[in-house]
Formats: sequence, structure tokens, C-alpha cells
Amino acid sequence: MIDGLLILLLFQFFGEVIIRLTGIPLPASVVGMVLLLLALLLEAPFTQRVAPAAGALIKHISLLIFPLGVGIVLQWHRYEEYALALGVAVVLGTLLSMIVVTLMLKKLLGGKHQEATGSHRGDDHAG
Amino acid sequence: MPANLDNLAGLVHTPLFGVLLTLASYRFALWIYGRSNSLPIFHPFLVASIPVIIVLPLVNVDYEEYRDQTQIIAFLLGPATVALAWPLYRQLHTVRSVLTPIVIATILGAFISAAIAVGLAWWLGAPAEVVGSLAPKSITTPIAVEVVKSTGGYVSLAAGAVAITGIVGALSAGPIFRLLKVTDHRVKGFALGLVAHAIGTARAFEYGEKAGAFAGLALGLCGLVTAIALPWLWPWVAQYL
Repeated sequence: MIDGLLILLLFQFFGEVIIRLTGIPLPASVVGMVLLLLALLLEAPFTQRVAPAAGALIKHISLLIFPLGVGIVLQWHRYEEYALALGVAVVLGTLLSMIVVTLMLKKLLGGKHQEATGSHRGDDHAG
Repeated sequence: MPANLDNLAGLVHTPLFGVLLTLASYRFALWIYGRSNSLPIFHPFLVASIPVIIVLPLVNVDYEEYRDQTQIIAFLLGPATVALAWPLYRQLHTVRSVLTPIVIATILGAFISAAIAVGLAWWLGAPAEVVGSLAPKSITTPIAVEVVKSTGGYVSLAAGAVAITGIVGALSAGPIFRLLKVTDHRVKGFALGLVAHAIGTARAFEYGEKAGAFAGLALGLCGLVTAIALPWLWPWVAQYL
């Protein structure tokens, strides 16, 4: 657990260092995530030990987030004027995105799937 | 004696109170979520908010003060975002064979989700800060609340929009997949992860391991693509708002 936390904070720190040196407009934690992903893919020593801490944080991510969401209700006066735009964009926008993205994925991944079933059928014939 | 009572009342203005309230509300929400068999409308994000929203006005603690009290919890969002590299790394191994179409799908999908939300909000006359808060609504919350700073949006609004997106996406997935006659579990999982992030990923695991793995991958990649693209693209989009 401590090893994992140490790795996570260290990579967040690396992210922060890169951002301060280059001035790129990205969140430091996202840069840290990319660096950690690269380190894992390159099988850097000890990086696998991140698992327990990473798992625990991700499992309880709602705990870290919901105090931010509370602000919508407690500062509603800020947003009430745009309630309709917000509701439509979030609810209808999500339904539209689901439909469009699903259709796109059917096209992009569907071809490969059929190919795979096709070759299976071929095997059956051969057998 | 009154001095002692004053001392006691002052307790609500300490970080201990804010953190305790937050953790207790979350524990309560986990219990409800378990009892509901993980129904998306009982997601801990929504249920945990309710006790906090009721208690804070009762004890005269405003939202800004509560944010200060719970800084220690907010701090953990940074390492939690870095932690997303772990599931991403694990999923990359399972889907190596279809990596190219998946990367293309992620880039297109991330763009479509953001464009639809931004387009609708702009069309209905929302101001730039509100539109900017919605741009990252399909990505996982820890990344969204960081990225929203680059679009000049409100952190609270972004967090809420992300949660509601996840819930609507997870609830609508079943009917939409039936309507569009989707049978491929990879498509189901990937669509859920791409549009409805972590809540969609939990839903995808109900279709099986394969759908869950594809959802987890989509969640990670979509967050990454959006976090990298949005801060560069936003100044250009903002000109037209």
C-alpha cells in the first residue's frame, strides 16, 4: 500500500516537474498517468507494486468526487438560469452520444468480428 | 457554561467535522447502493450528496468552507488520476489484436461526445463557462475536474454533469443496444466506457468480462485523448461562444 502510494505521488510529482518546465496546458496528474503507463509498459522495476494503492483509490473514486458535486445544489443560484440548457445537453446529449458512438463502433469493430466468424466457419468446413 | 456550548458549536467549523460528514455520507451511500443491487440511479455519487446537502445548511457551514474542510479528500484526486494508468495498462494487454480500430474509435468517440454536449448547450444559449463545464462530461471524473480548469468551466458543474452522464448512459444502454441490434459484447463495452466512463464500465461488467475489459480500456483512452486534446482545442472553440 505504502509502495503504491509512493509510486503514485512520485509520478504525479514528475508530471508537475514536466508541466513547470515546458508550460504545456495539461493537468499534472494526467501527465503523471501517461508517465506511469509508459513505465509499466517498459516494465520499469517496482512499478507493478502500484496495484493495491491504485485499486483502492479507483474503487472509492466516488468518495473523492462527490464533495465537488454537492456544489451544484448548494450554489444552484449560479446555474438555475441555464437549467434547461444543462438538462438537455447532459441528458439528451448523452443519449445521442450513446447512439452515434454505438453505430460507429458497429462499423469499426463489426468488420473484424465477421472476419473472425468467417474463418471459424471455414475451419468447420475443413474439419 | 455558555462558553462551553460555544466551543461545542465551533466544532462544525473544523476539518474533522467536514471529513467525518463526508465519510459517513459515503458509507451510508455504499450501503444503499449494495441494497439496491448496484442500480445506477442509486449510485454513491448521488446518494452520498444528500446528507451533506441537508446537514451543511442546518449547521451554517457554506459550500466554500466545506471545500476547505475537505481539502485532504480533494488532494487524493491527483494520485487517483495517476492510478488510472494501472487498469489502462492491464486492459491494453487483453485487446492488443484490435488496437488500431480501437484507437481510431476512441478519438472519434471522444470528439463526438464532447461536440454533442457543447453544441447543444451553446445552441440553448448557455454562457461560455457553462458550455466549458460540459465539454469533458463523458470522461472519468478525476480527469474531468482537472481538464475543466483549461476550459474555464465550473468544477462542481463538471463533476455533476459527468455523474449524470454516467447514470443516463448506463440506464439507456440496454434499450439502445436492443434498438440498434448490437450483439457484439466488445461494442457494448466500448460504447459504455467511452460515453459513460466508470459508471458505464460497471454496467458493462454485467455483460461479462470481455465487455468490462473493453469498457475499462475505453474509459482510460477516452480520458487520456480528451485531456490531451481539449486544452489545445478549447481556445479555438471558445472564440465562437
